[in-house]
Amino acid sequence: MKSKSPAWPTLSRIVAALIGGYLFTYAFTAALARLLPMDKVDALVVASLPSFLIYTLAILWAFACRNAWRAWAGMALALPLAAIGFWPQWREVLG
Amino acid sequence: MKHKTLTQSMAWLHTWSGLIFGWLLFAIFLTGTLAVFDKEIDGWMRPEIPATSLSQSAAAQQALGYLARQHPEAKTWNIGLPGERSDTLTVSAGEQRRGGGTALDPRTGEPLAVRETAGGGFFFRFHFTLNLPRDLGIWTVGLAAMAMLVALISGIVIHKKFFKDFFTFRPAKGQRSWLDAHNATAVLVLPFHLMITYTGLVIFYLIYMPAAVDALFDGDRDNLGRALRGAPAEQQVRGERPTRSEAAELTALEPLLAEAERAMGPVSSLSIHNPGRSNARIEARPVLGNRIELTKGQSMLFDGVSGEVLRQPAVSRPSLLTQKVMAGLHFAQFGGYSMRWLYFVCGLASCAMLATGVVLFTVKRRRRHDGEGAVGALLYHIAERLNVAVVAGLMVACVAFLWANRLLPVELAQRGGWEVRVFFLVWLLSLGHAIIRPWRSAWREQLGLAAALCISLPALSLLGESLGDYLYLELTSVALGLLLAWPCWKLYQAPKERAPRRVGKQPVAQVN
Repeated sequence: MKSKSPAWPTLSRIVAALIGGYLFTYAFTAALARLLPMDKVDALVVASLPSFLIYTLAILWAFACRNAWRAWAGMALALPLAAIGFWPQWREVLG
Repeated sequence: MKHKTLTQSMAWLHTWSGLIFGWLLFAIFLTGTLAVFDKEIDGWMRPEIPATSLSQSAAAQQALGYLARQHPEAKTWNIGLPGERSDTLTVSAGEQRRGGGTALDPRTGEPLAVRETAGGGFFFRFHFTLNLPRDLGIWTVGLAAMAMLVALISGIVIHKKFFKDFFTFRPAKGQRSWLDAHNATAVLVLPFHLMITYTGLVIFYLIYMPAAVDALFDGDRDNLGRALRGAPAEQQVRGERPTRSEAAELTALEPLLAEAERAMGPVSSLSIHNPGRSNARIEARPVLGNRIELTKGQSMLFDGVSGEVLRQPAVSRPSLLTQKVMAGLHFAQFGGYSMRWLYFVCGLASCAMLATGVVLFTVKRRRRHDGEGAVGALLYHIAERLNVAVVAGLMVACVAFLWANRLLPVELAQRGGWEVRVFFLVWLLSLGHAIIRPWRSAWREQLGLAAALCISLPALSLLGESLGDYLYLELTSVALGLLLAWPCWKLYQAPKERAPRRVGKQPVAQVN
């Protein structure tokens, strides 16, 4: 918190960590649940239990990487993961 | 925030997530630690309930007698049985199972006039909802738990000399002692910190992270609930209920309780559906914590006339069992009193770690804050005040809550609500006190007050009649009071030896 460095990259990083990290974890969990070759209930539990570890690592990563842009780029991985997790739903929407 | 190294960025994260959520986390951990003994505290808060050595079946028989006299027409009778941790026998009629009911004297089977109280359950509810509306509270506590995980992992990363520091304590060295104390309490019970935080999140895992529910069940909670329970068994039981029934005598409870205990461990409550009819059903629920798995909602069903078992307790599938064991590790209902004490002591260590952490933030800036500009100075002053109000003030509020239980008039309407109001009023007053007093006096006076209230807690049992046995609770309260008196006493001594202290030559291991 030096007064010289602008506040806004820090803010960007915090948002990337909290919101971006959550969206990434959400998409990761959905994709994992979809891909696990198990019964639906088992896949749901097995995919959901480690989600807090994933979120923690995502937050740490957002602060560890070199700049805020990289943090956001990492969180953008949520998009392909969400496509895997929700592909039956998306296929329905697309027709 | 412009940091070159990983350690620096992790240190920044540790400091700020730790500070901002540290106050909230202290409140969550302190009330959680007290909630380990929620039933025992609850017993203390209802001194009209006598200590009993009656067997469960004898107590249940008294309850049946009362219910048959008072509610012969009710469709369901519910009986909460006394057990290892509680002497309370409660009965209620009708569908609702939770929410108290009438307390009975297990010796006579007559209702007891028990004072209305928020009870030990207040600490439990505050621990996971902060007394906010349930959903808002659960999410706030979940966010704080995530901050705790982040602070723990970043704390491990910045902690280079992990095992060396484990054995390092430099007392009476100001800032360094605070850092050592913070490190020692953090590292010593690190597995506990990680376990309790993660398992806490796992309890509400599908609320916090509904991704898999949305992906696999389209977010349909009812559908999910059926899949989790395994629907067929339930329907079987519902379907076979005959439409007509005639009067029939209820089976003896003693062999039934013995069978339930054999299958599930000690029993906490019974529900009797259609009592006195030929289609009577008796549902027995186990005490939480007969096993590590959190067995909430588990039960065993008996035929109320023949006494035969209609449904064995459900067995969880391995994936769900994993989740329930993790939740059970958090609830700490297994392993009896020795396990409870272990959780209590570890919980106190967590509180100490959080308290030393937030205090360390201000100790570091007490000399330095002038150099950090107006914002830094303001932040330092706010943190100094909040530290007193959250750490010492909350402890005063918790013990004041217990005092209110004995001092508020018994006939007061909405008495339980007033106890909670006393808790929050005292906490608010402690904040006001922390703002107007110099920081050292504020700490000293509030810690002193908390210590005095804890030590004199046993005297409250002299007011009015108390029929229970509270020896261990009162001893614990006195011990905690003495523990709090120690930093209070140190604060009286400190100014003389602190004044000539110089900044050490060696650079202090920096946490931020």
